Amino acid sequence: MIDRPPSDGMGTAAISPAIAHSSVKTQRDTSSLAALPMRVAILGAGRGGTALLEVLHQIRAIEIVGITDKDASAPGLKRAQELNVPVYGVIADLLRDHTLDVVMDVTGDPSVESVLQQHRSPGTAIITGQASCLLWLLVQHESTLQTELLHAEKLAGLGSFAAGIAHDMNNPLQLILGMAENLAEETDLTTVHAQALDIIDAVKRTTAICRDLTSYSRRASLQQDGPVNINSKLDEALKIARYAVALQDIEIHKRYQPDIFVKGNPDKLLHVFVNLITNAVQAMEHHGTLTLETTAVAGATQVRVSDTGCGIAPEVLTRIFEPFYTTKPPGKGTGLGLYNIKNVIQHMQGVVGVESHVGQGSTFTLTFPGNPSRAERTPRTEA
Amino acid sequence: MSEFKSGFFVGGESCNGRVLIVDDEPDIRKVVRMTLQKAGYDVLEAENGEKAIETINWGENRLLLDVMICDIRMPKVNGIEAIAYFRENYPRVPLIVLTGFPDTEMATSLLRQGVVDYLVKPVEGEILKAAVGRAMEQRELARL
Repeated sequence: MIDRPPSDGMGTAAISPAIAHSSVKTQRDTSSLAALPMRVAILGAGRGGTALLEVLHQIRAIEIVGITDKDASAPGLKRAQELNVPVYGVIADLLRDHTLDVVMDVTGDPSVESVLQQHRSPGTAIITGQASCLLWLLVQHESTLQTELLHAEKLAGLGSFAAGIAHDMNNPLQLILGMAENLAEETDLTTVHAQALDIIDAVKRTTAICRDLTSYSRRASLQQDGPVNINSKLDEALKIARYAVALQDIEIHKRYQPDIFVKGNPDKLLHVFVNLITNAVQAMEHHGTLTLETTAVAGATQVRVSDTGCGIAPEVLTRIFEPFYTTKPPGKGTGLGLYNIKNVIQHMQGVVGVESHVGQGSTFTLTFPGNPSRAERTPRTEA
Repeated sequence: MSEFKSGFFVGGESCNGRVLIVDDEPDIRKVVRMTLQKAGYDVLEAENGEKAIETINWGENRLLLDVMICDIRMPKVNGIEAIAYFRENYPRVPLIVLTGFPDTEMATSLLRQGVVDYLVKPVEGEILKAAVGRAMEQRELARL
């Protein structure tokens, strides 16, 4: 599972969400050139242009000044609007309006070259033809690697499910075995019928465990992102998380605003929620309160996972989203959990924030842009 | 929760001894009760360690309980905590662990603490009865 390190118990640390957010964003700065972003234009908004857009907009050191395609229905144009990237109908306009560092031509259209030669500014690098094909292949490869990494981390975490699975499988098996042994000798028909029904119920429960887990452990679907009902996804994650961590002594509060949706990959979002819940419960060491909260306010949708656990020390808090950072003993954590969460949420144009007080607990907040399907409502509480 | 066979108190021949099964799953308690009652045991139930401690300290159970069968993964007071309590306060009552998750390290540690048997679910009726039989022999020896 993911690794949220325990506090070192050195005093109380109050980390404001703002600081925490900035620590997350720091992860996105891969270059000290963040203050002088590289200005890039993308020509072509088909599959290649869309893939480039998805990757480049996550990099702080790059500013996508515009994207263009002669096909107004090209998928990259719609995506660009969602990301607030200016869309141009004519290549010449895009080249004329901006001082560009790089133009990436992924149109595959040989006639574009003459337009580029005519309108390019001196000092603008142009990536076109086979070079842009190569770039697209690299981008696709990076995307595949991220998905593989997520899956690998999920499978690594499944080991911690063993105790929970064994508990939930072997209990119904014990009932089935005991009842069957009794039925072999039982002569009273009423008892036979009642025990046969008990066996059928036990088999159904066992089947449900297998269904939940096979569904969870599969590779994230490659379908286009769609609207995901956040509240039911959180409930599903609770069902899965109970295999990894003992929830029986944890008080669970659900504060769900009804009908909240965000756009994203449902499988990846489930994985994010399972990890956040598992972490929260591990931080509480068997006893405490887990609060799951969903709200839609001021044009943003928020999901909050809070615990009353040990909290995270300030010096650790700044590093928890780094890949392979873990304070767990070797073999107990991959150090990729929160890193993957950050990637999934950023891909959804969201932000992960964390507020933690040593000895009091932590709150992880996922903030997604956009409004839910319905107007704001007062959260209702389900204890 | 606690049930008594009235015959037990007069030492009826049908009662081979009193067993407490501690498990949070009603199904497990039901099956263990069924199996052991057929073998002539009086069976008490508790749904977690806390209830087990209440039960063993209640009325004449303190004196008359012969064997405990205890799960490990339970809410409130879990099996490990409950077993530590019983070993300290009732060292003469033999303990059998019946768990859904086999763990060699834990089994070794528990057997060192004096647990007489470590059974993994699903356990066959004959094996369960044999384990309880061995525990009863130990209980008899402890009474001598």
